[in-house]
Amino acid sequence: MKAVFAILLLAFAGLYAVAQITLGRGRDQVVHLTWATDPNPARTQQCELFSRMYPGIRVTVDPTDRTKLLVRCATGTGPDLIDTSALELVSLAETGILKDLTPYAVSMGFGPDKTYPQAAKAMMAGGKQYRYPCNVWANALIYNKAIFADYGLAAPPKDWTWEQLIQIGRQIRQSKPRSGRAYLVIANWAGLYLVMDLLPSHGARFFSDDGLICELDSPQAIAALQLYHDLMHVHQIIPTPAESSALSSQGGWGVGGINWFSSGRAAMIIIGRWYLVITRNWPDIRPHLAAVSLPRVGDLPPRPALYLRGAAINSQSPHAPAAMKFLQYLASREYGQLIVRDGDSLPPNPQLARSGRDLVNDACGDPAFHQAFIDAVSNSQPLEFSPFVDAPQVWRWLQETVEKIENRLATPAQACAQLADEINKAIRQNLQRRPDLQQRYEQLTGKPYRDDWWQTRRQAAAPRAPNERP
Amino acid sequence: MSPARRIRAASLAASARFTLLCGIGFVIAVPFIWMTAASFKPLSEIESGSLRMVPHEATLNNYRVLLNRMPDPGAGRRLDLRFGRWYFNSFFVALGVTVLQVLTSAMAAYAFSRIAWRGRDTVFLLYLATMMIPGLVTLIPNFQIMVWLGFLNTYHGLIVPMAFSAFGTFLLRQFMLSIPPSLDEAARIDGASHWSIFWNVIMPLARPGLVALAILTFLDAYRSFFWPLIMLNDAQLYPLSVGLLELDSSYGRQTNLIMAAAVLAVVPLIIVFVIFQKLLVKGIQLGAVKG
Repeated sequence: MKAVFAILLLAFAGLYAVAQITLGRGRDQVVHLTWATDPNPARTQQCELFSRMYPGIRVTVDPTDRTKLLVRCATGTGPDLIDTSALELVSLAETGILKDLTPYAVSMGFGPDKTYPQAAKAMMAGGKQYRYPCNVWANALIYNKAIFADYGLAAPPKDWTWEQLIQIGRQIRQSKPRSGRAYLVIANWAGLYLVMDLLPSHGARFFSDDGLICELDSPQAIAALQLYHDLMHVHQIIPTPAESSALSSQGGWGVGGINWFSSGRAAMIIIGRWYLVITRNWPDIRPHLAAVSLPRVGDLPPRPALYLRGAAINSQSPHAPAAMKFLQYLASREYGQLIVRDGDSLPPNPQLARSGRDLVNDACGDPAFHQAFIDAVSNSQPLEFSPFVDAPQVWRWLQETVEKIENRLATPAQACAQLADEINKAIRQNLQRRPDLQQRYEQLTGKPYRDDWWQTRRQAAAPRAPNERP
Repeated sequence: MSPARRIRAASLAASARFTLLCGIGFVIAVPFIWMTAASFKPLSEIESGSLRMVPHEATLNNYRVLLNRMPDPGAGRRLDLRFGRWYFNSFFVALGVTVLQVLTSAMAAYAFSRIAWRGRDTVFLLYLATMMIPGLVTLIPNFQIMVWLGFLNTYHGLIVPMAFSAFGTFLLRQFMLSIPPSLDEAARIDGASHWSIFWNVIMPLARPGLVALAILTFLDAYRSFFWPLIMLNDAQLYPLSVGLLELDSSYGRQTNLIMAAAVLAVVPLIIVFVIFQKLLVKGIQLGAVKG
């Protein structure tokens, strides 16, 4: 028995030596930055270009996992650069994980003036800048020209309404194409994202200006969700959850819906310009792609939600100066050109996306296609969240609300009322429990905090007419 | 009931049991069969929505892409995955953890089962109680200890925390309790020390238990995902489980490649299980006999 253990220990020691020798970790004078982001193959190119521009600094991608990020940051060993979404920006900033970039951003060339005005708002939390975009996007409608031609349909006009889209959808559903094939009208790949576009387009707001009242039960919000319901259940131009499950082979409908459109079996999809990256796996779809802005609601211009993946700096990073150079790099022409070439949404610096011609790449040579996404970002509105309630929790409740409507478990009016009640209740509870929020309440309202503050506040909120924007 | 009818009823019951077990076995096997079949399909065929299990056009390209023998059609270039290195890391870490954990657990089990000392059972209960604490609760303290020890982003950081196990100690203690105490006494009369009794008497008799623990530990260490994920930044140190994350990115999920990688990843586990399955079952059963 001793011999067995001795042999195994020796084998282990030998393998250990081999492992260490073959690691190839040289001691160099280079600063090594860690970037918590998704392990997208495009990151390799982006890191390589950065190292060529800043030879003394090397960036390694660390696949994003939120628990890993929190554990590492809690123990002071977090990554130098952290990709953040709108949902987590406030909580990461408030817990001191993110470095306040306000004192450096403008002088170093990655301030709010170096990106789209809408994106500039999304970089801020509590009036301070915490991140700079790696890319920026808002959804437009991509359609398959070949399928439209198959039905003898004209291209959608640049300025159009949801009624016109529904009309096109009906034609696709009810008439027979020349080829005799059957097509899905819109590959709705993520219901919540479509709802996020419909809400601001209807003039709905998530919260009051001070963030104290959730306004998702307003007539505008109900109208937005009613339209979503009708697209699915009345006009039947986006698949129901049951249809989505039946059509999706794997990976959930999110992936399935995109693949359904990519394989030429759906006429339209509402998505960001980053879809072009996906088409690397579906080269046959590329010649058939065209895009237009989302339809408008009544006389209001379309207002899709704005999204960005922004790089922030860990406040405990020992390499903060080098990390700031990385943000400078994100604002650079060289990085922007890489984004343009890849098709990974819009470059963070708007100088590289002044018109559709600037964005033409191998995936799509039609400037009008790219222009639709520039227009979408120009008209977009960043996601709104309240400092008084946890943004990821609001997102989960929104998801549940959308699912209730999709599965007809509640009418849009009922679902909106339940959602707003739930969020307002959470705001009240958070305020009751947290003195820091009470202090913020007093700063915002100029009044002393009282537990029954909301009773008078709710009565004071005047309802707006449907389709009226604040 | 006549003997002939009784025999017929028994054979019918046996056939029904057999059919039921075959059905259950098939249900369990379906995901593995699908995974293997999908690893030989191009992405477009997997995404076509067809329920057909057998590939239309079987291809080895997924394996070639994984092993950097050809460019990924989607990315248009080689993915430069360190598949060989990840394989080596998984195997090496699992081996190290297994050897050390079996050794430390056996020593602790000996102390808890063969040596009489004051407070032994209380200490054992306390040790056992650590199994009841959810891993997430101790995640940050454990991680902080690794930071203090300078084990972050190293192989030590993966091996050392898993080298000690309350479950392993419990399993082997139960096993050692089933070995008659008269054997130790005879050895002691012959002048053997605890060290000598441990290696020459108890360990050879505890072999089935040691093998069972070794197999369970190896499988557990080979499959571990979360601890390596938070401990490592350097892709050269990734085990397979973490390395596979690189196939699931915003470029889209490459199900064909993920399935091929999963097939390659489970092959060693299946080999270990097939070779040692009898010992594994026997070891666990024997360990459970005496408390």
